[in-house]
Amino acid sequence: MNFLRVAWAYFRIGALNELQYRVNFFVQLFESFLALATGLVGLALVFSHTQSLGGWSRPELLAVMGIHILMGGLIKTTIQPNMERLMGDVQQGTLDYTLTKPSDSQVLVSVREVRIWQTVDILMGLIIMVVAVIQIQARIGIGQALAFAAALVMGGLMIYSFWLILTTGAFWVVRMDQIVELFQGVYQAGRWPVGIYPGWLRSGLTFLVPVAFAVTVPAEALTGRLTPQTLLGAAALTTALLLASRWVWFTGLRNYTGASA
Amino acid sequence: MRAMLDFYLTQMKMALVQQFQYRVANYFYMIGMIAEPVIYLVVWSTVANAQGGSVAGYTPGEFAAYYIVWTLVRNMNIVLTPYAWENYIQRGWLSMELLRPVHPLHAQIAYFAGWKFVAIVMWLPIAAILAAVFQPEINTSPWAVAAFVVALWGGFFVRFMMLWLLGMITFWTTRVSAIFELYFTMELLFSGRLVPLALLPPWAQQLAAYMPFKWAFGFPIELLLGKYTQAQALYGLGAQVFWIALGAILVRLFWRTALRRFSAVGA
Amino acid sequence: MRASSPVISIAQLQKTFYVPEREAGLRAATRNLFRRQNREVKAVDDITFEVAPGEMVGFLGPNGAGKTTTLKMLSGLLYPTGGEISVLSYIPSRRQRDFLRQITLVMGQRNQLAWDIPALDSFELNRAVYQIPRPDFDQTVAELIELLDLEAIVRKPVRNLSLGERMKVEIAGSLLHRPQVLFLDEPTIGLDVTMQRRIRNFIAEYNHRHGATVLLTSHYMADVVALCRRVIVIHHGKILYDGELSGLVDKFSALKTIVLTVPDSSIDLSMFGEVTSREPSRVTLRVPRADTSRVTAQVLASLPVSDLTVEDPPIEEVIEHVFAQGPEQAA
Repeated sequence: MNFLRVAWAYFRIGALNELQYRVNFFVQLFESFLALATGLVGLALVFSHTQSLGGWSRPELLAVMGIHILMGGLIKTTIQPNMERLMGDVQQGTLDYTLTKPSDSQVLVSVREVRIWQTVDILMGLIIMVVAVIQIQARIGIGQALAFAAALVMGGLMIYSFWLILTTGAFWVVRMDQIVELFQGVYQAGRWPVGIYPGWLRSGLTFLVPVAFAVTVPAEALTGRLTPQTLLGAAALTTALLLASRWVWFTGLRNYTGASA
Repeated sequence: MRAMLDFYLTQMKMALVQQFQYRVANYFYMIGMIAEPVIYLVVWSTVANAQGGSVAGYTPGEFAAYYIVWTLVRNMNIVLTPYAWENYIQRGWLSMELLRPVHPLHAQIAYFAGWKFVAIVMWLPIAAILAAVFQPEINTSPWAVAAFVVALWGGFFVRFMMLWLLGMITFWTTRVSAIFELYFTMELLFSGRLVPLALLPPWAQQLAAYMPFKWAFGFPIELLLGKYTQAQALYGLGAQVFWIALGAILVRLFWRTALRRFSAVGA
Repeated sequence: MRASSPVISIAQLQKTFYVPEREAGLRAATRNLFRRQNREVKAVDDITFEVAPGEMVGFLGPNGAGKTTTLKMLSGLLYPTGGEISVLSYIPSRRQRDFLRQITLVMGQRNQLAWDIPALDSFELNRAVYQIPRPDFDQTVAELIELLDLEAIVRKPVRNLSLGERMKVEIAGSLLHRPQVLFLDEPTIGLDVTMQRRIRNFIAEYNHRHGATVLLTSHYMADVVALCRRVIVIHHGKILYDGELSGLVDKFSALKTIVLTVPDSSIDLSMFGEVTSREPSRVTLRVPRADTSRVTAQVLASLPVSDLTVEDPPIEEVIEHVFAQGPEQAA
């Protein structure tokens, strides 16, 4: 598939480029450790005052945290850098270089950039998750593991689609920088299972900004809470969002090239 | 000196006018900032409800009050980031300010102070909405409110001096993100930003009392919420004065040397 | 004629920069964290000169010659590594308030005025910074608006002004406190020819009206020629020349130019000197200075010359030639 080949080509270049700056690796490692320490302290504080939060036990919340970090790492490695670059290109009019390349434009703008050192977060998230699962001492069957993997992939795709739709807004409303900060703030809500939030907030975190699907649903899969309805709903939503994002992208593109100076 | 007052007022007025022009950007930023305290608020309210209504003396209503006042204090706490220092030095802005017969510290404080007035006014509608949604409870008294206003600005000055000192490190080395991030993490944990200090284990609370972070952040909030006696409030204001004075002395001690370093590397 | 002591006095001034060497690799980077590997760059290497009150002195030199560094030391921004400086009897690096109130430094591309509000409002801030009494301030503002033709632009936000307009308001802003000493670092850089001329005229007029001492750096010869009688040429941190502009060419140029008007310019003139240009009836010859009168006589004797002029080569060429030399050749 052309998509994979293009993605891999860009990944290689991006990785090779950044691997030169090995100091950045240590800087990233340090920052990730600090973030992890803060998260663990937060968790410890909560559990110094209670035994369970909204029905979730301590190791289960640790798993949620692990998934949150992992997904965050994924976002910071691929999704965010590409969307930020897209915003910059639209603002400065340099998108044209990409549009003249003989590949699908949506694919190109989605895989051009990679921040290789953020994979530290992906690794860290995985480790936390594994530790949490061990602590939960539940046996995870193949079905559960598959559901978890599926939920994770779908969550990632949903976040990607969401970001793309939002960033395409840059075609109409050129200054979108605050959106990045806004998203980062809202994403923090995913550290905790979405069920603890009041109803309206929960809906927002599920359907407005798909944080719930990115973190809580995979966590539910891991901890045996996942219902088939939720999984099916996730699949439906993922498909819908992917289609919507592609449509929005091409609409935006038509608008952009029509108005280009 | 009257001239200094004149300068402060003029600079503050200018900052007000300038920042008012960027009100949309400012608003976006303030709204984005709400996410953090709302998350903490929900988490701790959940814990409080699970524990039969309150945790460490905070009911969900009081958590709401804490985190809503949090947003105001957080805005007052925003000052020149130590990361901005590299730009400040490299882009020549520091040079521009050094040419004037006024210490750059004054110019910066005056600018941010003017900005804060815009921030406070813009915060009010946000606070109203948050209050409507989360139903805060406040048991306060007139003197506490008055002391809060003082402490709010005191907190601004404390954080300003501390971050100015931190920023001065940039004169000596530019690989500073590790130091800064460590500072900010400590601040997050010990200032009352992550959780009200009353929720920390006792040893941590004692530690926090000796660090500057609490006096810039948690202290004003707790003051408004009526958590202090008059004596304790006075002690806290004194602590603010102490940290501001300490910061000023350190800046004075090291400024000359810092400028020599700046001079050696050139800009 | 009162005996006036020099406004600016520099003796054996030196400035050495330590430029960090960045190496690749993790170990080097960690070592670099606190102990930098530094390379010494001598930006200013033992210069000495004095400036009398009201003088307009031009600093000529290519990029990196040490002009800006000298100005920064004179205004107190940089500490000298060696030697002495005195400006208005102050030591600039002490940065005393009374000293700062009497000088101004204008740097070509740097902004002092706030970006998003009208220049007039920024002027207010300067008034407060320099503690200018209100009546004096109003008078100075009026004068500057008139001299620099600012009426139309002084109430517009600075970001809406063109580059030339921005430079004009920046200069105005830097003169509000009626400094006695002006340090102008490349004030016309990036401006179009008309604007350059206007600003030069302004500086000349300002010096004439207020007797301010002006130190001007530029690598545009035109700036210096228009404004300064005295010129200091700096290259590689050393002074190559300090004296009258007219003497500059004499010192540096070993050549003179002879322009001949002849009916047929295709004739071979190579025996007389180097032919630098040939037009239908004019030929330009370049000859060594010492041979000028001999060649002139020979040409007049052997060719049907209807007009002959002896000129100095253009100053720009001379200076370019000087700047192209390496540090070893610097006199």
